[in-house]
Amino acid sequence: MTDLWPRLERLIPRAERPARYIDHEWGATYKLEADYRYCMAYPDTYELGQANQAVRILCNVVNAQEGMAAERAFLPAAEFADTMRAEGLPAFSLESCAPLAEFDCLGITLPHELAATNVLELLDLAGIPLHAEDRADGDPLVIGGGPCAFNPEPYAPFFDVIVIGEGEDVNVELLQLHRRMRDAGASRAEIVRAIAQIPGCYAPSLYRWLPEAEAQERGSWIEPVEEGLPERFEKRLFEGFADSPTWEPCVVPFTEVVHDRLNVEILRGCTRGCRFCQAGMMYRPVRERSADNIVASVLRGLAETGYDEVSLTSLSSTDHSQIAEILRRLNEACAGKGIRISIPSQRLDSFGVEMAELVAGQKKGGLTFAPEAGTQRLRDVINKGVTEDDLFGAIDAAFAAGWRRCKLYFMIGLPTETDEDIKGIASLAQRAYDRAKKAVPPEQRGNVRMSVSCALFVPKAQTPFQWDGQITPEEALRRVDLLRRSVKYRAVDVHWHDPETSFVEAVMSRGGRECAAWVEEAWRRGARFDAWTEHFKEGAWREAADALGLDLAQVAQRTYDTGYVMPWAHVSAGVSTRWLQRERRLAQEEKTTPDCSFERCSACGVCPDLGVDIQCQEVRHG
Amino acid sequence: MANPDLFRLRVTFAKTGRCAMLSHLEIARALERAVRRAGLPYAISQGFSPHMKIAFGSALPVGVGGTEERFDVQLVRWVDPDEALTALKRASVEDLMPSACAYIGPKEPAASVAFPVADYEAVFSRPLDALALPETVTVVRKKKEKVLTVADYVVSAPAQEPLAAGEGARVVFTLRSLDTGSLRPDLVVQELLRANPGAEVQTITRTAQRAR
Repeated sequence: MTDLWPRLERLIPRAERPARYIDHEWGATYKLEADYRYCMAYPDTYELGQANQAVRILCNVVNAQEGMAAERAFLPAAEFADTMRAEGLPAFSLESCAPLAEFDCLGITLPHELAATNVLELLDLAGIPLHAEDRADGDPLVIGGGPCAFNPEPYAPFFDVIVIGEGEDVNVELLQLHRRMRDAGASRAEIVRAIAQIPGCYAPSLYRWLPEAEAQERGSWIEPVEEGLPERFEKRLFEGFADSPTWEPCVVPFTEVVHDRLNVEILRGCTRGCRFCQAGMMYRPVRERSADNIVASVLRGLAETGYDEVSLTSLSSTDHSQIAEILRRLNEACAGKGIRISIPSQRLDSFGVEMAELVAGQKKGGLTFAPEAGTQRLRDVINKGVTEDDLFGAIDAAFAAGWRRCKLYFMIGLPTETDEDIKGIASLAQRAYDRAKKAVPPEQRGNVRMSVSCALFVPKAQTPFQWDGQITPEEALRRVDLLRRSVKYRAVDVHWHDPETSFVEAVMSRGGRECAAWVEEAWRRGARFDAWTEHFKEGAWREAADALGLDLAQVAQRTYDTGYVMPWAHVSAGVSTRWLQRERRLAQEEKTTPDCSFERCSACGVCPDLGVDIQCQEVRHG
Repeated sequence: MANPDLFRLRVTFAKTGRCAMLSHLEIARALERAVRRAGLPYAISQGFSPHMKIAFGSALPVGVGGTEERFDVQLVRWVDPDEALTALKRASVEDLMPSACAYIGPKEPAASVAFPVADYEAVFSRPLDALALPETVTVVRKKKEKVLTVADYVVSAPAQEPLAAGEGARVVFTLRSLDTGSLRPDLVVQELLRANPGAEVQTITRTAQRAR
């Protein structure tokens, strides 16, 4: 492969943060002799992508294969991408500093809805044709996966294959097949057709996109172009998750990245069943790794990486049936070494006095809780399953244990929300502040801070709220304004997301294949790094929609009957449509559904459908 | 003065190759992690936010390497310096490699102030025609302009050592830092580039640091 380093080296002094591009970090893996080369790309800058779990996991599983090498690639920052274009330097991988176009396969993870234009930016910078149909035999196979694969259509033309679900097993199957066929001299078309037969692999070019009326009648928006192709794509799971070692090699970056610490995945899946939450549907069922596995892995990981902080990650780490034991053992083993042990998100109902003492040792930064809605009625609608008492109990414990700052996350625009629910957010935050003050010694009360952070509800594919429309940006601003006027305490501050960005998210989340043209047009008009406030170009997205004559307000804001076939009906997270429909009905009736890892099964369909079971180490107690 | 019950280990290392592109903060973080990976019995501070007792030598700008850089780490028990060096080498990346470990006394000045005089070497793409520096340079610090008198900082002025034909030229100079601040070596190089249009700089390296 071509070594671009000599050319890159000359440009690096002009880069804003050279450490993004220099590679050679502790823990980087080099397999120069491997004859099959895979590049795993994250469609944003190094400091966002290096921390990404998918990049780490998939590079590790591929590097573990004989004769296969995985390298990392990230999108250069906007200013450096411009420099590279001007100098004719193509997008490169880190380890070999080789052009992406020279790899056998390029995998791009799709972490959130605002990364779509960055996928095009990366392909373009790499000199790889944007459309799968324009790629020749010599171009890399371009595959995608990650959260956004659960509605793959807005990305359909750009990928040869989109992988649904957890990549540990399926990625290796796919690459091995590709390698064998490449060695046998198969054509690109033959390879794509063969991969399309692997469960969980969707090759969009082999399916026609149907008009709405036909899709509703047929029960699917896609139709195979020939016989013998699968028509339903069920997510893949990593079946060995619970028993696999929690420690896995990782790169220790030079420059500061997000989540710059040892991240250890202690469990996968969350079945609390929040009805807006895509992750809760995507990663079912719950699978816990054992305390012994976790403790040994954390200690080994700290020794091998040199980090001074470890985070026990998952969607809901305090739900682990052995979490108290794990924290106690780790606190004991790390005592006196200046090592912090943290948990990324705390559930209100499992954060008690014990947890407050076990987490974060002596350093008490901010604490974040997510009540999501301001009234019990609305929390029941979304099945959040936490009460005011849970919040106040958690606040009492946290502030008595030494915390002084607390951030509360809410969502605005949830289905059935009224002005009373908005005022409820203000009321809840103010009462939480009162409780916090009471739990703190009088002389420290001035330090107590409470902040409210509001996101706009984005309907997500594969959730019970997938049929519910988003409120308009104007209405969102009205509700934010109502909230701000309702908050009377100066110590409680309110933050909110830009509704125009959330609008793009909603369209990308719910749109069909027609949205791919919108993404491409917006990118051509300068949209990239849309998740960065300073780069988001609302105008580019609007003009692109006008130029294409798309009515995107419909896509984002329309509320459907649950009989409506959504554009991702051919993709399944294992959760049955019937169950999603029932959850949507229960939401409207303000009725909750229990978590099956604590209580009875609600028949979502994942376990029988995927042939798996909940794996808890001990009985969970709520 | 450092705590006399602790052992101050002074580590000499090189910042070379690609790592010359790292910032001082990035280097500091990388070195701290190497100390932890090496398993040295480092001391931690007893504050609200406990952290490793480690102190770094004077900062190098992004893009400037160094062959004799130093940091001091305090240990809670004595470790044979050769063993410490072996462990650190095993725990370090190629371009931030330690070369020596030695204990220093509790009263010795910290690595950041012990070596105000430093030799630099810059390699240019071609021999330079003009080596004289201007009398003053203007720098921007915290949005304020400041005029530095070059002579205050220059211990020995840039001198050229030709390399083999076609390999450019090596220019060496020595700078001192004052209590009030210092003149960055990359600024000196910039001035040389300004005086020699068409020349390009390939590397800038701090080759030695000393007390006087």
